[in-house]
Amino acid sequence: MTAAAAVRGDHATKPAVTLAVAQLRAVNPYRYRRYLNRAGLYASVIILISPAILFFFWMLSLSLKNEADNTAYPPVFIPHPPTLANFIDVFAKNDFLTYGINSVIVSFSATGLALLLGVPAGYGIAKTNATKAAVLILIARVTPGLSFLIPLFLMFQWLHMLGTLTPLVITHLVITVPIVVWIMIGYFEGLPVDLEEAALVDGCNIWQAFRYVAVPLARPGIMVGMILSFIFSWNNFIFGVVLAGRTTRTLPVAVYNVLTFEQISWGPLAAAALVVTAPVLLLTLLMQKEIVAGLTAGGVKGG
Amino acid sequence: MSATTAGMPVAPRVRPTGKRNYARRYWLFAMPAAMVVVAVILFPWLFTLVMSVNDWKVSGNVYFVGLGNYQHLFRDPRFLWAVARTLYFTTAAVIAPMLIGVWAAVCFASNFKFRGVARTIFIMPMMATPVAIALVWTMMFHPQLGVLNYLLSLAGLPPLSWVYNSTTVIPTLVMVETWQWTPLVMLIVLGGIASLPIDPYEAAVIDGANGWQMFRYITVPLVWPFIVVAAAMRIIDALKAFDTIFVITNGGPGTSSETINMLLYQTAFGYYDLGYASAMVVVFFVLILLVTGVLLRMRRWEHGI
Amino acid sequence: MIGRRTLLTGTAAVLAMPAIVERVGAQSAFDWKRYQGQTIVVSLTKNPRADNLQQHEKEFESLTGIRVESEQMPEQQQRPKMVMELASGRPSFDVTHFSLHVSKRVVGSGRWLVDMRPYLADRALTAPDYDWADMSPGARRAATQPDGRIDSLPLETDIWLIYYNRQIFQQKGLAFPKTFDEMLATARKLNDPANGIYGFVGRGVKNANVPVWTSILLGQDQETVTPDGKTLLTDTPAAIWAGEMYKSLLRECAPPGVVGFNWNECQTSFMQGKVGMWMDGVGFTPPLLDPKVSKIVDHVGFGLMPAGPKAHACPVFTDALGIPVESKVKEAAYLYCQWATSKAMLLNLVNMGGGASPRLSTYNDPTLMKNSPFGQEWLATLLASMKIARSGLPEIIPVTEFRDVFGIALSNMVGGADVAAELRAATTAFKPILEQSLKT
Repeated sequence: MTAAAAVRGDHATKPAVTLAVAQLRAVNPYRYRRYLNRAGLYASVIILISPAILFFFWMLSLSLKNEADNTAYPPVFIPHPPTLANFIDVFAKNDFLTYGINSVIVSFSATGLALLLGVPAGYGIAKTNATKAAVLILIARVTPGLSFLIPLFLMFQWLHMLGTLTPLVITHLVITVPIVVWIMIGYFEGLPVDLEEAALVDGCNIWQAFRYVAVPLARPGIMVGMILSFIFSWNNFIFGVVLAGRTTRTLPVAVYNVLTFEQISWGPLAAAALVVTAPVLLLTLLMQKEIVAGLTAGGVKGG
Repeated sequence: MSATTAGMPVAPRVRPTGKRNYARRYWLFAMPAAMVVVAVILFPWLFTLVMSVNDWKVSGNVYFVGLGNYQHLFRDPRFLWAVARTLYFTTAAVIAPMLIGVWAAVCFASNFKFRGVARTIFIMPMMATPVAIALVWTMMFHPQLGVLNYLLSLAGLPPLSWVYNSTTVIPTLVMVETWQWTPLVMLIVLGGIASLPIDPYEAAVIDGANGWQMFRYITVPLVWPFIVVAAAMRIIDALKAFDTIFVITNGGPGTSSETINMLLYQTAFGYYDLGYASAMVVVFFVLILLVTGVLLRMRRWEHGI
Repeated sequence: MIGRRTLLTGTAAVLAMPAIVERVGAQSAFDWKRYQGQTIVVSLTKNPRADNLQQHEKEFESLTGIRVESEQMPEQQQRPKMVMELASGRPSFDVTHFSLHVSKRVVGSGRWLVDMRPYLADRALTAPDYDWADMSPGARRAATQPDGRIDSLPLETDIWLIYYNRQIFQQKGLAFPKTFDEMLATARKLNDPANGIYGFVGRGVKNANVPVWTSILLGQDQETVTPDGKTLLTDTPAAIWAGEMYKSLLRECAPPGVVGFNWNECQTSFMQGKVGMWMDGVGFTPPLLDPKVSKIVDHVGFGLMPAGPKAHACPVFTDALGIPVESKVKEAAYLYCQWATSKAMLLNLVNMGGGASPRLSTYNDPTLMKNSPFGQEWLATLLASMKIARSGLPEIIPVTEFRDVFGIALSNMVGGADVAAELRAATTAFKPILEQSLKT
């Protein structure tokens, strides 16, 4: 049973630690310790998730409060009355619809291309144990963003492409392709060889074996790769700051623009921040099982 | 640059397939991706190398200075301080998430009610847009009107200057980084814990080992590779941290939170000193490679290779 | 002929803009509509000047038939972007709004902006009532490069003054200070941290904070470089005196966290009624008198920059509009620049409190005197300041780096560092940069 399945909570196995603890309990005469452990566990979990809960609650609160509530001290936690004016303000004063569409186009394109390029690459690398190719992908991960920005900016200027979204899509590939490749290596290596070998014996060439056997089997991995690559492309800030023009800005860049001169307009700022991050948070909520499975399974391959 | 999840290169595994003549063909699968990555990174890198041996300011002429930029770099106190700060920030921004992340992984490995919900909430900071998050943190840090100082006052504690004081600024930024990236550490280590085999534990229980001994002699060594992977990713991301620092402090107050990456941006886009900035990029990249190299060695060591 | 008639008509236009637009068109032989149908892209910095321009944009469009696509961007982004785009040779804009005190020498040495002298002299391109000579000598000088090229039109001359909270002053029974030493004493007396009241606020964040220091320095009749721009004067006793004053004000009498404050944080603190005095540019007035955001609408006072031991001066910083040489619609862009810096528009600017007009005639306008939008004290302080205005920042190419290096030193001082040591270290650090820039 793979770690991915274990984490998903499939009923066939329990994580080894739980089992070990259960066995310990069986031999441990001091049963009350079990309750103490349990209480400790719940307390720990609550402590661990409180910062996240408090933060997102505060973000929501700021965005729903009007100006007076936002500048009040002591701070007002529950807005009375809550107002949607900040959100309307965000869309009215800034071209957030355009920027949102830009973000969508860039992230979808970068993810789509990454899948086209990365899934086969992951397969090829997994089959040949090509550590060199993997290292190449790793270089992309390790390089600081600013090291490509200036030359790429100059190149795109020279090619007259800065008014379009193409430069952004191309640079975002540096983020999305490594993610897809890394996840796919993990999934393809975990696949049983038998089905593919059967296909090859039956006369398929390796391309067909890949396309009709391996890919369908690795669909969960593709799903995870797609989600993660979309999220990290969406969240990217620095490429947008340098390469985006007036109409080709993405949301993270736009939200940064809302800051700086409207310091005490915390309402619109929080509303803008929420609008920018809501799509990926929503995606996380809906796809959390796949995401967790993907990242933890990928972790296995690191071992 | 926000983190990606590409990880360490895969250790070679012995596989039963003997179709070696397919090896070359399988290479073709990886070609397009490799080409794209090379094109988007290689050209800029060559250009950066060329720029680094020139003196090129945006408004002036370009002229060759050989290793002049590099020499200046190693004698430049502002750069050297930036290196020191980067190491300080990175160390703290790795240790804290690692400790909390491992603890969290152990907690989430156990089954409990609402585990799924708790886990979802826990990973949300990692998925949220760093810039947006940083803006909200900035609002929370406001010395007079911010909610954090208010919460402190409720607990009877004096208000803190958070990011407005040169001593507390880096710990504060580390706190934000920790809040955001601990979930990644947790997930990776969780993968390790979840994949632990049962047999060693059964044998140990039979042999009369207690909980602590099992943890120390079975769990830790088996989970160690995952911990190293998580640490490696954290180190690389912390070295390159940009979005959060840029939005919250922009290197301030003064230069107290100016890491190498921040100084790089300022040199290129504030002072338009592209030649010098390029040299800085090269040195920065070498630094990251060195650290990654050391980590790779550490991993191989553990495996006895 | 330009005379009282146009001036009066212009003033009435504050209330009915379309009227003047047709008037000007009707009176001159030059044709506003000569380039109709073209589109220009205008890159603006986010501030009240830009608000003024955008508010009246439709009038320009109907006046000339030229379509305007304008956008405001925060200055931290707009400035480097502008330079990068100009340097690369393919700017995305036809008109750029920029600060002369930040970018003048950089754009000048790169020769990226169009020399306006031929345009100004061209009767077919410049409206007869534009009157370049109406611009104050200081403004004209600011817009002129060392080699004589005029590559921008001044849009606003931002003088610095002291905003003060009359209510806080009255509560303590204090008068507005006339000298810097008095200001420090007053700030100390007003300071009441236990009740959340602070005597003074000024920018503490690096780069932005340098003008606060240079304002104080002008009181010693000294600037930060010699007039020829070749030697630094930043470690002289006068500079150290100004540094000590800055350190005392921000360390002892300012709100906590001031070392991270730019003008907007200062403005916020002041608007919340927590601060006695705020030293900054006059262009930030409008929100202070806006009841929707300001808690002290009825208590805002405007004071002249205090005098120092040797001189009484205040710094002035000029914003301007320029046209890149690569623009394909240079003449249409020039019509926009001209319109934006015309007498009518600059009068609008002053009336909406967006700053001080670089034109002398604006201050002779009769209705302005009577219906000053922010009260007589504001207008009086503005006029008095214009008389004692001097350059607030050195006119050198690496001015951003200057502001960074000395800004860092100033921030460190607020944190407790020794003033003389910081200034000397910063001067030593910056000297090679200045020398390097003089070679190119």
